[in-house]
Amino acid sequence: MKSLSNWRLVVIILSSIILLNGCGFKDIDKRFFVVSIGVDLAKNSSKKYLVSLKFAIPKASRDSPTEFEIVSEKADSISEAVRIIKTKVDKEVDFSHAKVIVVGEEVVKEKGNAGIYYWFTRRRDIQAIAWVAIGKPTALEVLKVKPKSEFIPSNALFLSLGKDGSETPYVISEFLFDFKYRLIERGIDPMLPIIEAKKDILEINKVGLFNKSYQKLALNPEETKIVSFLRKREEKSANKITKGKIVVVIDTHKVKTKYKIHTPKGKTPYIKVNVSLEGTLEEATRRVPNEKLSSYEKAAEKTLNKEIRNVLVKIQKANLDPIGFGLRYRSRHFNNDDWEEWKRIYPEIKFKVQTKMQIEDTGLIE
Amino acid sequence: MNRYFLYLVLLNMIVNVIIFVPKILIEYRYNGAVMGVLIAIPIGIALNYFYSTAINRFPEQGLPEISANSKHRWLKIIHFGSIQLIWFSAGLITLVGFIDILVRFINPEMPKLALLVIYLAAIFLIIQLPTQRVVYFMEIVLFFNTPLIAFIIFKAFANDYLSWDSMLEVGTHIFERPSIKSIAAATYCFSGYSNLIIFNRVINGKLKVLNFIAIFIFGVFNLFTTFFIPIGFHGSDGANEYLYPWISTADSLRLVYSPIERVIFLFLMFYMSITLISVSVHWHVAYELIKGTFKEKVSKKQNLLILSIFSGASIAGVIFLNTLLLNKVTVYWMIVRLGFEIVLVAIFFIWARRRSV
Repeated sequence: MKSLSNWRLVVIILSSIILLNGCGFKDIDKRFFVVSIGVDLAKNSSKKYLVSLKFAIPKASRDSPTEFEIVSEKADSISEAVRIIKTKVDKEVDFSHAKVIVVGEEVVKEKGNAGIYYWFTRRRDIQAIAWVAIGKPTALEVLKVKPKSEFIPSNALFLSLGKDGSETPYVISEFLFDFKYRLIERGIDPMLPIIEAKKDILEINKVGLFNKSYQKLALNPEETKIVSFLRKREEKSANKITKGKIVVVIDTHKVKTKYKIHTPKGKTPYIKVNVSLEGTLEEATRRVPNEKLSSYEKAAEKTLNKEIRNVLVKIQKANLDPIGFGLRYRSRHFNNDDWEEWKRIYPEIKFKVQTKMQIEDTGLIE
Repeated sequence: MNRYFLYLVLLNMIVNVIIFVPKILIEYRYNGAVMGVLIAIPIGIALNYFYSTAINRFPEQGLPEISANSKHRWLKIIHFGSIQLIWFSAGLITLVGFIDILVRFINPEMPKLALLVIYLAAIFLIIQLPTQRVVYFMEIVLFFNTPLIAFIIFKAFANDYLSWDSMLEVGTHIFERPSIKSIAAATYCFSGYSNLIIFNRVINGKLKVLNFIAIFIFGVFNLFTTFFIPIGFHGSDGANEYLYPWISTADSLRLVYSPIERVIFLFLMFYMSITLISVSVHWHVAYELIKGTFKEKVSKKQNLLILSIFSGASIAGVIFLNTLLLNKVTVYWMIVRLGFEIVLVAIFFIWARRRSV
């Protein structure tokens, strides 16, 4: 008898939920999914930003590629722009599939835009694993590109920024949560990949380095590759080595980087960077006998030493720290003013780069 | 090794990963949280040891049975009443906090009260069951969820973006003076043992040292995960900006080849049942203690009255406690709880020794 009355109670309670439930849930066909977000500076307008949302339009059949629609709005803040875009579309705007955030080149070069970066992390419905990138010439141009290989809107961007598709050291992809982490953490600075829109193709092979508020430096593709080595995220690359008149290209499949900060008393502090690479010889202008490989290894080490040091010094001159040397220093020192110390040390620190290249073979032929 | 005892402690540890403990610890990361955590571990283990060995002298008896023939009735009422209040509020803040998370991350348009009604219906069903069956239920829930949560935690540890330098940077602040708030928050991870007040009914046989070693290992690992993983993902300077550090950390994980790419939804799904059973365990203790306060068997009307007080308090909690206020209240609640727990354990330990001599 007792359990029966219990069940009666449960039924009453559960049925009362029906009364409480409002219009909380919207069907999937009444939602409009944003796949990528673009932010630019507004031109010829009193408003500050031009916010563009790229919506995917689902198709019933799988034969035709899916289409998309870009809706843009000028406003002084992203929140306002999104609210006004809502009035332009018939369905509920849903950010849960927004996986790429493209910020225009002009925006990142300007100071005082940190508020818009924070907007993305503050919103609960934008995923922290969205990629952030810089759009060149504008974010809108990048969103408009539709590569022929693309079947789902913005999928080309997802694939090339993520590691599921192409893997290359020239793409330094960045997640939103990591971007936010670097924006605030003392001792490590943000960097974002630069996406260039070229008619039907997206080209991603540069990286923009930020201080805590704006982009200060843009690296060219080769320098980007070096930064990628130092970040230990990508191992496949091609390195061109010149020795005398012979040019060889080494394809690496293993790159390991270690660095240690030394601060000897009375002497200039230095950072020892050890990079060890393993690879195969892929291309040569002349026949390379196996016995002479070690001399090519030496040449490769010499070239790479110089290249890596040049990049590090270039970054240091701009007073940036995308690798996180400052954070390393902070984490190894127990005093409370280690950050102030590091700010004094970093501009005059020396880099001692030691590369170890191992050429395993020369491919199928000698 | 007694597994039910381990479950009780483990449940409290798991549920604390998400809601309040990481928030409080991360807030004091430069001001003594590291030392606080280190101090909290021996305190937690010691409380565990003393209380469980004391109550272990009364095999298969809960506190109501142990003190059934006590002559000081008013003392008993005060004692039981204060425990009830702490246990009920422990369940309540977990419930209100988790409802806030669910509404925020899963369906912001859903009224909180609707969610509360669903939860209350399930909780009331569970807490009225006999203690033995509550334990079975807990075992099933833990059996299904713990491996998957452990997998997510493993993915967090193996993630490329986990910055050990940031974690070490917080570690270098180890010599700061420990703050009482961080100690209180960190000891809460260990306080699952105190559910033995009622759940001792299902425990027979001596608790071996192995139990406490297991608790020590789990506790250290749990506190490390709770405290340092969000810092590794969101930075020593940035992690305190997040309202729910661990939920945001779960959102920063990515399972590329899983059916759902975003880990946050898997994580919340597992925690729905963990929270349900955690609140039920706390409230089962409170409920059984109220029942034990009455001289005779509880009538149906009294039972309904107890349940309506429970639901009234939780409705009030959901309506009046917004997220920020709840966080503020919880900090002080943790301190009160720590003090109360120490007093409770000390009194019970001395009383049990005198009785059995």
